[in-house]
Amino acid sequence: MDILACPVCKHHPLELKIDKEDAKEVLAGSIRCAKCKIDYPIEDGIPNMLPPGT
Amino acid sequence: MGLVWLTIAHMEGIYRMNELVCMVITEVSPLSNDHEKRVKSEDVEESQIREAVRKRYRALAEQETSCCGPKVNTMCGCSTIYSDSDVASLPSDAAAVSAGCGNPTAIADLKSGMTVVDLGSGGGIDVFLSAKKVGPTGRAIGIDATPEMIVRARRTAKENGFDNVEFRLGEIEHIPLQDSSADVVISNCVINLSPFKQQVFNEAFRILKPGGRLAVSDIILLRELPDELKTNLAAWSSCVSGAVSEEDYIGGMKLAGFVNIKVQDKVIYTYEQMRAYVPDVQTSLSLAPPDNNIIKVSQGTDLSNMIASYRIIAEKP
Repeated sequence: MDILACPVCKHHPLELKIDKEDAKEVLAGSIRCAKCKIDYPIEDGIPNMLPPGT
Repeated sequence: MGLVWLTIAHMEGIYRMNELVCMVITEVSPLSNDHEKRVKSEDVEESQIREAVRKRYRALAEQETSCCGPKVNTMCGCSTIYSDSDVASLPSDAAAVSAGCGNPTAIADLKSGMTVVDLGSGGGIDVFLSAKKVGPTGRAIGIDATPEMIVRARRTAKENGFDNVEFRLGEIEHIPLQDSSADVVISNCVINLSPFKQQVFNEAFRILKPGGRLAVSDIILLRELPDELKTNLAAWSSCVSGAVSEEDYIGGMKLAGFVNIKVQDKVIYTYEQMRAYVPDVQTSLSLAPPDNNIIKVSQGTDLSNMIASYRIIAEKP
């Protein structure tokens, strides 16, 4: 999270929302860009940082 | 992670897609300066290229083993582009799905503590090599748009105890990293796959710190492709049709703001190496898959000296 930025507007930092986690990583949740109001989902521990619609 | 051998298993879906787009991009000349603009102007084409590339590398990600044993599997067969010591230090799972055309970490001058970003990291081979070079105080981050590759690379990292690597699902045209965050950006035979190469160079420039370096291996077009190849998505995802000339490639780097751009070395592909992609249907070599699954070019077409693998370094001032 220290280095992640919104792939669309490059805003940093992003907001992390945790739905499920283990000792090492967030398993489910989302990463939100407050500037463009986009939520990037985290599924199976992998944030999907692809621009929406691709 | 750009280059892979054409195999029927990998390519069936792409060939079907290819039929859909042949008509759309027939007029595009890879040597033309407005190549990108013309491709970009039709969103449908761009999305089809992107899907073809992802499909191709999804299939590669699901490949279990390499035919190359302890060597690295690349377009050029069981490759010698990585040194024996590099290969020996690698997780075998990463080497099995490598699809590079060079070894950018060898020219990247990586040092302990650096942050390295690999554009199109695939199975992670160059990320793992980088991670070893930057050590525990550094970090190596792979960006790839194929979820299956990210899953595979993360699994390899976990199984082999790499603590200083990350793999991020993202596009190299829209890198999900903040400005001035990387000391070095590397890429191995991937930028040619993008229909938006200028955007990739711009993004690489953005995420580099001032004084940071770009070190790439990539396919460069040496002369105009036969028409059959220009229009072929399978050839695009094989790192052939998306390739541009040295002038256009380096011009894109300059336009992004890079300076001190140097071609470190190049390997010009022979007729036999090109035939791995583009078998001539009029002759029958063992490399050629069945007729309905090959890229057809006219008999007598000279495929030698058409593409080359370049290693290029550049700096952000």
